[in-house]
Amino acid sequence: MKRNHLVIVVLLITLGLMAWAGVTNYRRRKQEQAFAKDKLVMLTARSAPAPAGEADAPFKNPLADKQAPAFTLKDTTGKNVSLADYKGKAVVLDFWATWCAPCKIEIPWLTQLHDQYASQGLVVLGISEDDLDLDDKAALLKQKQEIADSAMKLHINYPVLIDDKEVSKPYGGIDALPTTFYVDRNGKVIAATIGLADRDEIEANIKKALGSGEQAQKGAS
Amino acid sequence: MNVRRSIVWVILTLAAGLAAAQKMPWETNDGQSDAKQFVKFLYPEQVSVTANHDSVVELHFKVNPGLHINSHTPHEKSFIPTQLLVAEPSGVTVGPVDFPAGEDFSLAIEPNEKLSVYTGEFVVRAHVKAKTGEHLIQAELRYQACDATSCFPPRKAPVTVDIVAR
Repeated sequence: MKRNHLVIVVLLITLGLMAWAGVTNYRRRKQEQAFAKDKLVMLTARSAPAPAGEADAPFKNPLADKQAPAFTLKDTTGKNVSLADYKGKAVVLDFWATWCAPCKIEIPWLTQLHDQYASQGLVVLGISEDDLDLDDKAALLKQKQEIADSAMKLHINYPVLIDDKEVSKPYGGIDALPTTFYVDRNGKVIAATIGLADRDEIEANIKKALGSGEQAQKGAS
Repeated sequence: MNVRRSIVWVILTLAAGLAAAQKMPWETNDGQSDAKQFVKFLYPEQVSVTANHDSVVELHFKVNPGLHINSHTPHEKSFIPTQLLVAEPSGVTVGPVDFPAGEDFSLAIEPNEKLSVYTGEFVVRAHVKAKTGEHLIQAELRYQACDATSCFPPRKAPVTVDIVAR
């Protein structure tokens, strides 16, 4: 009996020491991180001024045949845009970024296809995944302006929305760009592609999205 | 008896939990484990330099096969340049840093559009001046990688070099 008590006491002391060590380590590391952050300097080239695994994983549509997660985001003009605004329409959600070269190849195709199929009920929404400095108002304003400028330079003729990173999560996390979801007239994701897709594949997915959920279209008219 | 056993089990479970906590989950580099990195710092782990003299430390990196990252001077302003972010410990100054020139690269679908990139192994030369002693330099290589059809959000590859100044 006494021996059991002794074992329990030793165990409790050990636990206490481990907890103390953990907390002490945590505090020390926090201090080191804060110190390192303060001293972080960005080094630039000496001469020329600076102008400006997963890769192999097969893509699996995380939302296949599921309802497209709802969202409301601001576009580049500051206007709120919700997926729900386009009920009864086929919607292409194109996640892109200003720093993504393959996205810039796809965007002119989406612009043309948007023009071509708008009368049949197609809506394209570009969702920018550019990093935003949410804590710095001036930087945030500049970053949003850069996205708007880039959209203008690319002649994008559909709404460009700015993701606050809350939208990419329900869409599977968006690990690579471009990532495109095709939503039918009933709001169901009928296809998705990751990476630069073939123009014909994009058009085929648009036709599929327009052709699905016709009941919703009839009900709406 | 059962009560005593239960107490022992609770204590053992707590002990296992605390033991696991010693691994410090906050040390996980913001989820950017090695498996998630597209660029790896190869070497050196330790380098000897002459104290209080300008020295050059060559940092060797490798981009995973099939991928490229923007060079330090991409052709387009909106592309994210490769940069070295350094936390200088006391007794060491780091900088400037010489980045290699990028090589021209084109996506198959746009052969006329040239990107300035690094592929395979490349070397960044950091100019270092250290006081006598041993100094641990912790840095990060910030890069943005793409393959032939996709681009990945910017990441930071950890770089740790032990500078021994004599």
